Amino acid sequence: MNQKKLISIALLAVGIILLAASLAMDFSGSGNPMRGPMLIIGIIAFFAGLYFFPTEKHHRKIVYIIFLFPLLFTFGVTVIIPLVLGIGYSFTDWTGIRFTQFVGFANYTSMFSDPAFIYSILITFVFVVMNIVLVNVIAFLLALLCTSKIKGEGFFRAAYFLPNLIGGIVLGYIWQFVFNNVIINMTGGISLLSKSRSAMIAIVVVYIWQYAGYIMLIYVTGLTQVPKDVLEAAQIDGANAVETLFNIKIPMIASTVTICTFLTLTSAFKQFDVNMALTNGAGSVPNFMGNYLSNGTQMLALNIYNTAIAKNSYALGQAKAVLFFIILAIVSLIQVRVSNKREVEM
Amino acid sequence: MKRKALATTLAAVMALGLAACGGGSSASTAAGGDAASTAASTAASTAAAPAASSGDYDLRLVNGKIEVDAQLKELAAAYEAETGVKVQIESMGGGIDIQGTLKGYYQADNMPDIFVNGGDTDFANWEGLLVDMKDEAWVSDTEAAYVDAKGQVLGFPYTTEAIGLAYNADILEKAGIDPATITTPAAMKSMFETIDAKKDELGLTAVIGYCAEATNLYWSTGNHLFGIYEDGGLKRDDTTYFDMLSDGGKIDEARFAKYAEMIALFNQYSDPALLVSGTYDQQILNFASGKYAFVTQGSWIGATMTSDDKEAYEAAGSFKVGMLPYAFEDGIDTIQTNSPSWWAVFNNDNADKAKAFLAWCAGDAGQKILVEKAGFISPFTSCKYIAADPFAQTIADYTAAGKTSAWHWLGNKEGLAQNALGVVYQDFASGGLDTEGFCKAVAQVCAQYYAS
Repeated sequence: MNQKKLISIALLAVGIILLAASLAMDFSGSGNPMRGPMLIIGIIAFFAGLYFFPTEKHHRKIVYIIFLFPLLFTFGVTVIIPLVLGIGYSFTDWTGIRFTQFVGFANYTSMFSDPAFIYSILITFVFVVMNIVLVNVIAFLLALLCTSKIKGEGFFRAAYFLPNLIGGIVLGYIWQFVFNNVIINMTGGISLLSKSRSAMIAIVVVYIWQYAGYIMLIYVTGLTQVPKDVLEAAQIDGANAVETLFNIKIPMIASTVTICTFLTLTSAFKQFDVNMALTNGAGSVPNFMGNYLSNGTQMLALNIYNTAIAKNSYALGQAKAVLFFIILAIVSLIQVRVSNKREVEM
Repeated sequence: MKRKALATTLAAVMALGLAACGGGSSASTAAGGDAASTAASTAASTAAAPAASSGDYDLRLVNGKIEVDAQLKELAAAYEAETGVKVQIESMGGGIDIQGTLKGYYQADNMPDIFVNGGDTDFANWEGLLVDMKDEAWVSDTEAAYVDAKGQVLGFPYTTEAIGLAYNADILEKAGIDPATITTPAAMKSMFETIDAKKDELGLTAVIGYCAEATNLYWSTGNHLFGIYEDGGLKRDDTTYFDMLSDGGKIDEARFAKYAEMIALFNQYSDPALLVSGTYDQQILNFASGKYAFVTQGSWIGATMTSDDKEAYEAAGSFKVGMLPYAFEDGIDTIQTNSPSWWAVFNNDNADKAKAFLAWCAGDAGQKILVEKAGFISPFTSCKYIAADPFAQTIADYTAAGKTSAWHWLGNKEGLAQNALGVVYQDFASGGLDTEGFCKAVAQVCAQYYAS
């Protein structure tokens, strides 16, 4: 027993030393080609030591930690560290390359005095509301169609879902071509994309086209899971198709509705790729809070991106991103809370 | 016991997986390198050895002109054949934000050795990270190198470009117009009217190919055309209007009003099919096909006309082209010429190799390819090659006559064209603003943009 303890402590020590040495080399910018293998061997040795550590009490916990580690590590590297760094950068004058000083809340105060940004927030909310309603209604209708035992049901399901498999950027460029070369002939030679309002409508149309098929599939799953006996009972009681739909089917798939609302809500908020490829935020607003704005179709995510990249204000963009994170977190929390309540009632 | 054995096996598998993932990158690079050196025959094995840094190249150049991608690769191949140093060309095209991408590369520790920089704002990003090339021999051979405020030579000039009202010389001749007489707004207007009246006879779709689409072509209106207001007709070192703009986004009202009249003229006589929804490709293709008498793009379209649009251009008779001054005020008789961007050397271990490559580019062998193949108009006085580019002659003529202005829009506040001006031009073109409203809106967006 004692020997085992000794071995495990030795392994732990070797692992920690290797880890520390390789990390030190990394931060000091050493080009030693052995630092990668050292890091890996260090991690393995550390966990081996941990695993073989002779303890009855904590063994189970140790195993959990070992199995969770890959996920936690990835989560930390790709989510937690960038989040913390990002919040940190939002208080500096970071240029994307380096920063020279901390500026406190200056970035946060300046973004609220920028009419273009306030406009972006507003149209994002409008876009989100429009999309939640339209995407869900259209997707639900499509789902009804695809569960109504019409001919070629499988084909329709696949066809409606297909746009979702095309990447947003590609889709944006395809539709840009369609709007500027085909639909232009029906709108009197003026492209829908050249005016802010019609361009927003164009974005909504493309977004529905992309997303409704995906939501439809979820509704289809929900509808097919409505118990047959309930439907049969309704039929025997003399309910027609409309009554069955409103009194049986929709209440039975209430949880699906919640899931779909949640999905459309967050994805519409984060809308970026179609917006960028289709209009890149361009569009004029003659008079908003006394200013002429040129970002008539620029939604929040794109505004953040443009602030950082095109206007070269990385720190300001970062501050906006923090606000974006807070808004999304609040919206998601409310949504989860509401949906939990409803499911309990069910 | 059995369970424990299973758990151990699983843990071991996981550990192995982790090791494989972590070790993967270095292993594959090594493998790639091996394969490359084996393939490169035994004789070249010595040359492949110094590629210690990364991958299978020695130098990496980020090029901002995607239209000459193939030609630059040819340049790299010639350099490799001569010196054994392999240069990888990475081209980024028009609409891509090159500085943003480069910053990403910087964060990822993946900086190219040579990269393109477009002017003061770009160079300011990389302050202290670039190599001062003042001791290089080519510096004395050109006046177009980028020199910063401290006197450091940071940018290697590789071409000269010109912005003027490009015209189809054959059509002007047929319409009986002498380009040399167009130096006043009145002359320009009557010329447009004359050509418009003979449109069918000359086989034109429209008088001028002007695109004010704001999503993909904001750079044409917001940078190049706005740059005409900033520098049109001025002496090369005159920065009056640029300085005004830099000082809180001020616009000279009188000058801009005259300039706006010219843009209104373009709106009136342009091809309505492309005015607010066209793309660069369509615009150039139509000009190359002889459907427009004028196009509001600079000399870089020569490369497009003779490569991508070659067939259409030949079908239209490979007509002669030239450039007119954008004469929005009486007496403007200059076109604008400048280096559009420069190649800067990143300060890393490869800096000496990069400098050697640039020195070679400035020399006879490099210039031959850059000028004759890529169609660049050489900024070096010792260069004896003449580009086959359709616009080379007109640029040479204006330069010889001393009738050139510089351009300073490269120093405009970053993103001004994309985030502010492009949309105003589009709004004006689509009829959302009248001429007066256009002047006001430009003044307003500039003031706002410089204030924030």
